Amino acid sequence: MTATVAPPAPIVVEPTPHRGGKSRLRRAGAPYLFILPFLAMFAAFGVYPMIFTLRLSFTSWRGSGAAEWVGWGNYTYLLQGEAFWASMANSAVLWLLIVPIQLTIGLVVAVLLNSAKVRLRSFYRVAFLVPFVTPLVAVAQIWTVVFDQRFGAVNTALNALGLPDIGWLTTSTWAKPTLALLFLWKTTGFIVIILLSGLQSIDASVYEAASLDGASRVRQLWSITLPLVRRTLLFALVLQTLAVFQMFAEPFVVTQGGPYGSTTTAGLYLYNHITRADLGTGAANSFLLVIFVMALSLLFVRLLRSEDK
Amino acid sequence: MTTTALPTTRRRPVISRRPLGATVGVQVFLVLLTLAFLSPVVWALVSAFKPAASIISAPLAFDPSALTLENYTRMFADVPIGRGFMNTAVVLVIKGSVTLFFAPLAAYGFAKYDFPFKNLLFGTVLITLMLPTIVLIIPLLLEMKALGWVNTYQALILPGAVDAFAVFWMRQVIAAVPDELVDAARVDGCSEIGIFTRIVLPVIRPAMAGLAVLTVMNIYNDFVWPVVVASSSRMATLQVVLSTLAQNITGNRIDADYATVTGELLAAASIALIPLLVIFILLQRHFINGILAGSVKG
Repeated sequence: MTATVAPPAPIVVEPTPHRGGKSRLRRAGAPYLFILPFLAMFAAFGVYPMIFTLRLSFTSWRGSGAAEWVGWGNYTYLLQGEAFWASMANSAVLWLLIVPIQLTIGLVVAVLLNSAKVRLRSFYRVAFLVPFVTPLVAVAQIWTVVFDQRFGAVNTALNALGLPDIGWLTTSTWAKPTLALLFLWKTTGFIVIILLSGLQSIDASVYEAASLDGASRVRQLWSITLPLVRRTLLFALVLQTLAVFQMFAEPFVVTQGGPYGSTTTAGLYLYNHITRADLGTGAANSFLLVIFVMALSLLFVRLLRSEDK
Repeated sequence: MTTTALPTTRRRPVISRRPLGATVGVQVFLVLLTLAFLSPVVWALVSAFKPAASIISAPLAFDPSALTLENYTRMFADVPIGRGFMNTAVVLVIKGSVTLFFAPLAAYGFAKYDFPFKNLLFGTVLITLMLPTIVLIIPLLLEMKALGWVNTYQALILPGAVDAFAVFWMRQVIAAVPDELVDAARVDGCSEIGIFTRIVLPVIRPAMAGLAVLTVMNIYNDFVWPVVVASSSRMATLQVVLSTLAQNITGNRIDADYATVTGELLAAASIALIPLLVIFILLQRHFINGILAGSVKG
């Protein structure tokens, strides 16, 4: 999966032959010294907290005093309660609003930018990436101003066209689409770049042959481009699924999870356990989310791989 | 794919026989999309120079004669944005340097040496790359509490400083460096660390540039970890300062204040956007390489 976008390089490392000599001891010790700083940090801030979360998820703990072992209590509390499922449902709706649109637009734009006839290709590539490189918090702020119901630029434009105001961030109907739009705006350029790299790995002679056979452009897109970029598309799909279900900063800044909890995403709900110091439940929630997202990713991989036959 | 040779249409086959109308339509589509992608940023950058009252009374109007710096001066007076910039700069310099030295160093160890348990170690690193980062937030926060590091630079800098992804990427890059180059340096009497600093690092400079811009972008834009671990006004990074500004706005929906706060907000957002925008435009090629490689992270 990663091979489609990673820099092309041999994965297999051949063992360096030990040829003896004075430097042999020095050479044997060197790699340990080199990886030690990384390993120490990785163990302290990666592996240890991971194991700690797993243990924590089976306890009830509010950040001080002794943790009480509750077995599967946190998991059953979450799975049987409404709030967890509501947060997952909010994220699922956002996923539906974002991912299909993003992959479609991303693919169309990538195909256009891959065509030699389109001018200013490198300009577009840079312009579309501007939202992606700008700080999320800053653009989320701009979103709150632009989509403000009374004073925002969007409603002003609607009024100028004789259309009524829309409560973009104040009604539970519109809050999700408005957040989805922010996410689409922020990350679609990135998806374009990923898909473009997939397209560029397709040999031009394939199109040449198809073109000579009289296949139309649409036909070429459907029968050549799509199957050949499927791996890249799958990669983008999994990447964005992970990102949407972890979405946190967007609702945190723009809507604080409201109105009426309609934008309390899975990621924000998880964070809310921390602010309530309900750490055991938060840990269990992390693992449920991870399991769900991993299962979903595996499902996508399965579904799209099976079509290969 | 049988090729029945038609010599007349052989040249430029990818784009052959496209009607002119389609090309014009494509350009219009791309221009509109560019406007959609750029307009919120441009609008914010321009509006920050408008009088606060007219930002909300006439958000789409633009009067060049009425431009003002009042939003900026007020924002600098009201918001500890200088402090935020300084904290971000400290974290950026130290964390960035640590990543850019120790990640390729570890990658070199993994790529060019053989030692027991190497594959097991590297496999463990790969597995953790696939796990969403949010799983780590709660235990890391507790760890910081236990160490007494909440609201300190250590907490902002150390977790994630030697990013597992950076090691993974650099290992791929360094594995492609010819072994002969490394061996020749060794024969010439170069020390093991000297081989790394004087041979490997210069050779992989393009990838290092990609890693550098990606690292700068990630550290500068990082929000979730800083807001959890360093939310005090003294330690808040630029992004955290910005985010609390937003909450002030929604807390103060009184009309009179709203204009002022909006003006300040746009000024603060603009000033936070500009450094990265400039770096991006200057170093776009490295940025795109870095983003492409970085997308493996998930």
